[in-house]
Amino acid sequence: MAIFSEFKELYRYRELLRNLVARDIKKRYKRSALGFLWVMLDPLLTLLIFYVVFAGIFGKSGNYKLYIISGVIMWQLLAQGTRLAGSSFTSNRQLINKIYLPKSIFPLATAISSLMHFGFSLIPLLGILIFSGINLSYHIVMIPLVIFLAFTFSLGISLFLATLTVFFRDVKFIYDAILRGWMFLSAIFYPISILPEKFQVFMLFNPMYNYISIFRALLYDVSKLRTEHVYFGIASAFLSFSVGWIIYQRNKDRLIFYL
Amino acid sequence: MITLHNVSVKYRLIKEVKKRTFQAYIIDYLTGRRIRADKLWALKKISLDISEGESLGIIGLNGAGKSTLLKVISGVIRPTEGKVSVSGKIAPLIELGAGFDHELTGKENIYLNASILGFSRREIGEKYDRIVEFAELKEFVNTPLRSYSSGMIARLGFSIATEVEPDILIVDEVLAVGDVHFKKKCREKILKFRDKGVTILFVSHNMEEVKNLCQKVLWLDHGKIKMIDDPVKVVSEYVGNTTLMEDRLGHNR
Repeated sequence: MAIFSEFKELYRYRELLRNLVARDIKKRYKRSALGFLWVMLDPLLTLLIFYVVFAGIFGKSGNYKLYIISGVIMWQLLAQGTRLAGSSFTSNRQLINKIYLPKSIFPLATAISSLMHFGFSLIPLLGILIFSGINLSYHIVMIPLVIFLAFTFSLGISLFLATLTVFFRDVKFIYDAILRGWMFLSAIFYPISILPEKFQVFMLFNPMYNYISIFRALLYDVSKLRTEHVYFGIASAFLSFSVGWIIYQRNKDRLIFYL
Repeated sequence: MITLHNVSVKYRLIKEVKKRTFQAYIIDYLTGRRIRADKLWALKKISLDISEGESLGIIGLNGAGKSTLLKVISGVIRPTEGKVSVSGKIAPLIELGAGFDHELTGKENIYLNASILGFSRREIGEKYDRIVEFAELKEFVNTPLRSYSSGMIARLGFSIATEVEPDILIVDEVLAVGDVHFKKKCREKILKFRDKGVTILFVSHNMEEVKNLCQKVLWLDHGKIKMIDDPVKVVSEYVGNTTLMEDRLGHNR
């Protein structure tokens, strides 16, 4: 089918994909003194802030540090990747205007580089995990699955945003505002039990909350694993990717006239 | 082999940049004033066959559609109407170094750019030394591009696009950059390609160069083919026509 033919093209350009991901990672920290260490420092600093501010309120439960940092890095996977990917067509306008390329390679590269960042930020998470004296259960082998879901979900959003941004440059600002609100709705630093009971059920419609919850459960408390989180998580990843891909496919030949 | 059949390309001319915001869009939408962009046919019903190994010069005034034609052939723009078929690996020399990243080193840029042209890591590795040698940048490969001069960047771009051994080489005004010595090298290289049977599409305003390099010349005028024939014939017709136009403009003033 025509809307899948670009997958083959992406495979043909896999070398470029690799170079784009490498460039992204190299460049992001190139001129900073601590360089790549920032990937690990950043979630720890965010943890510190949330912990200092909220430990007095929510910190009674044992694994509060773990609760925060797992939420933070999972959130970063979405937020960082989609924000950068949103401008990936406009910022590569030079190239798109001059050379034929499967254009989806740009949001894809950004999404993959965020995934790599996520991978590195697992190191401080592991540190906190050991520090908290949690016994890891065999369920952690399923963690790559939830990461895959969150990645697919954010890739769909990335394709959608990147395409839309070409037509309306305001998308970037609107999305930044949405992200800010979305973060507070994703139960990153507070337990969901503080919400009124009738609102709790709506959390299922927040895909990020689902992924974060599954991630936390697999990581340190499998008794909290809920099947509805899994179902909604799968559905939203599928939906997001389909919508993003179709919107990109339907507009990809027009993009060039708006860049 | 490149075949174009009845190819037309329509551009939207956006006169007001402010239309690109939601606010303007919504206001226009509510007031019933939909965005009316002016349409411009950059190419009109172009049919063209370029056989393998042919070197075709493309001339015409600014805005005649030369760059659009190259973009259609290289696949950057999909034509609004008509069909394009191209077989072979294309190396576009359109504005050298479009894919360069100035934060990366020369070496990193070689790998990045060659992969933009669709080459594998192994293929690039094999050609790496020759690319660096031709660009004469041996001492600078590990320096970030931001400290290169524009001539150095052009040299690097040219070496990458030519060392990768394309089947079709697109040359758009590249010989305008670089010093005399490098221009000479580029010209020799292009001639060598031509003799090896690489198809060359050459856009230039330098008529001498067009006559020297090309076997055939295409004259584009307002998106249409005005003439396609032997270089000497087309160039003299073109030069005569444009000087005539300049004279007329001069009189009108």
